[in-house]
Amino acid sequence: METVLNVQNLSKRYNGLIAVDGVSFDVFSREIFGILGPNGAGKTSTLEMIETLRPIDGGEIILSGLDVRTRPQQVKRIIGVQLQSSSFFDKLNLKELLELFGEMYGRRVDPMRLLAEVELEDKAKSQVVHLSGGQKQRFSIAAALVNDPVVLFLDEPTTGLDPQSRRHLWGVIKRIRSEGKTIVITTHYMEEAEELCDRVAIMDKGKIIALDKPQVLISKLVSGGFKKERVERLANLEDVFLSLTGHLLRED
Amino acid sequence: MRLKWKLFIASMKMLLRQREAILWSLILPLFMILLFSFVRFDGIGRVELGIVNEAGVHASGLLTALREVKTLKMFEGERESELQLLKKGERAVVLIVPPDYQPGYALEMAAFTNDAKPQESQLGLLILQRVLDEITFAERGESGRIKLNAQMVESRNLTYFDFVAPGILSMSIMQLGIFGVAFGFVSMKKRGILRRLFVTPINPNDFIISSVAMRLVLVMTQIVIMTLVPYFFLDLHFIGSFWRMFVVGMFGAIVFLALGFAIAGTSKSEDQVAPLANIIAMPMMLLSGIFFSRDSLPGFIRSVVDLLPLSYLADAMRSIAIDDATLTQILPQLGGLGVWSVISIIIAVKMFRWE
Repeated sequence: METVLNVQNLSKRYNGLIAVDGVSFDVFSREIFGILGPNGAGKTSTLEMIETLRPIDGGEIILSGLDVRTRPQQVKRIIGVQLQSSSFFDKLNLKELLELFGEMYGRRVDPMRLLAEVELEDKAKSQVVHLSGGQKQRFSIAAALVNDPVVLFLDEPTTGLDPQSRRHLWGVIKRIRSEGKTIVITTHYMEEAEELCDRVAIMDKGKIIALDKPQVLISKLVSGGFKKERVERLANLEDVFLSLTGHLLRED
Repeated sequence: MRLKWKLFIASMKMLLRQREAILWSLILPLFMILLFSFVRFDGIGRVELGIVNEAGVHASGLLTALREVKTLKMFEGERESELQLLKKGERAVVLIVPPDYQPGYALEMAAFTNDAKPQESQLGLLILQRVLDEITFAERGESGRIKLNAQMVESRNLTYFDFVAPGILSMSIMQLGIFGVAFGFVSMKKRGILRRLFVTPINPNDFIISSVAMRLVLVMTQIVIMTLVPYFFLDLHFIGSFWRMFVVGMFGAIVFLALGFAIAGTSKSEDQVAPLANIIAMPMMLLSGIFFSRDSLPGFIRSVVDLLPLSYLADAMRSIAIDDATLTQILPQLGGLGVWSVISIIIAVKMFRWE
């Protein structure tokens, strides 16, 4: 498998407080790589150093053969980023925003194709403020795709979404991967990691404490003699909720 | 270049779709000008008499006598400047006391009157004639008459409104620069719009240049609208040229835009912008001769206030509007604004932070 992203011994300090502490991992081409962890585990800091948004305090990041520390401009050209909390200019509609973001990469994009990718064609003339939470996240992904990036970074894309929107976004992310993109995603929803990710790294207190395929991590735990306190039910409350309210999106 | 243009077009679109921005930068200042057009500080009151004394001490008796007339407000000056002031409307009558004047013995004297102030001029002439007659009578004991040759001069009769309108225009250029940029950028910073922008390989300068260009277009629109509307509907005197107004407007706008960027750079949220922007803008608004002439300020304060950028901008705008001043004539003001733009750009570069 071809390695697209190689992170070696990465670290980040804020006023003496260690946020990322010697993190190393590889991301392979065309996989969905998850970084899991509770709030404050260092997921976002790790991601932002890779995205060239924060200075690297220690270690090395090589993305598609480029050293992120020394060639941030070239790295920016080949990555797509959805930030955890970012917004877009007011008063421009989705189509205009995508065209403008394309221009920032010196590209003339086809906004309707990008909107189709995230199922927002009918919102082409809307402004971001008028979108629902799920639609905003989908638009944010479309904006991250304007430069046809090698790696797409998604930082907690489903936080705060209702179950229907979350499942819908999973579909969009899977389809983008199937079209040949490598995706790095952070989340603190375990069922999301299990559903989407080919491999996951579990972070806590700035360190990676486990890294493997979700099924492998589960098997290891079970073979170690782990038993859930309660017997697995055949359905959970989310299943009840979805069967009562349906899988259809409610945002439009 | 293409990206700068695209960013400029995008920011123009955003501006035009943002009704409150148009309201704040165009409608509100215009409304203020409308309000001030109702204010008439001048008009009623005393007759402004200008004396051009070419007779020296021989005229002292005449001057003393005139000074005692309560209805007159007397000024003394050179022929040239007094006639200029007459044309501007700041004198109702200008009396020339000839070099050969002797109390009671001059035969003819020239007086110039303001055609736009007929009542005051007539009253002024009547008073002059009576005072001269009294002096002649006292000197010679007989009632010989000095003939007053009155000549009407076409005057523009500038009013308080003509003073205040270019001032309000300058003030709104300042507001647009300082408040527009500071609030706009801090809000983009706070909401993560700038952060998202710098995930792309964009050069930050392209973004700044395009947003400055958008605001310069807005400044030019302000100049045109805030001059033409009062000119056609509110009796504003404007004899200057728009391109000179644009040149001065650009100089001023650059100073205030840079100050806006400096404030945006140091502030994390809108709450921090408001006091900072007001501390800079308020003193200038009140002292820089926008609403009241700086002549009334005490000497020391006056000499400091004269150096403020809004003082330079308002003076230059006013000279162009009411005196048709050329760029050479307002070179001191342009120089002052030039120095200020260097200072404020340096401050902005030092203070501005994207995050």
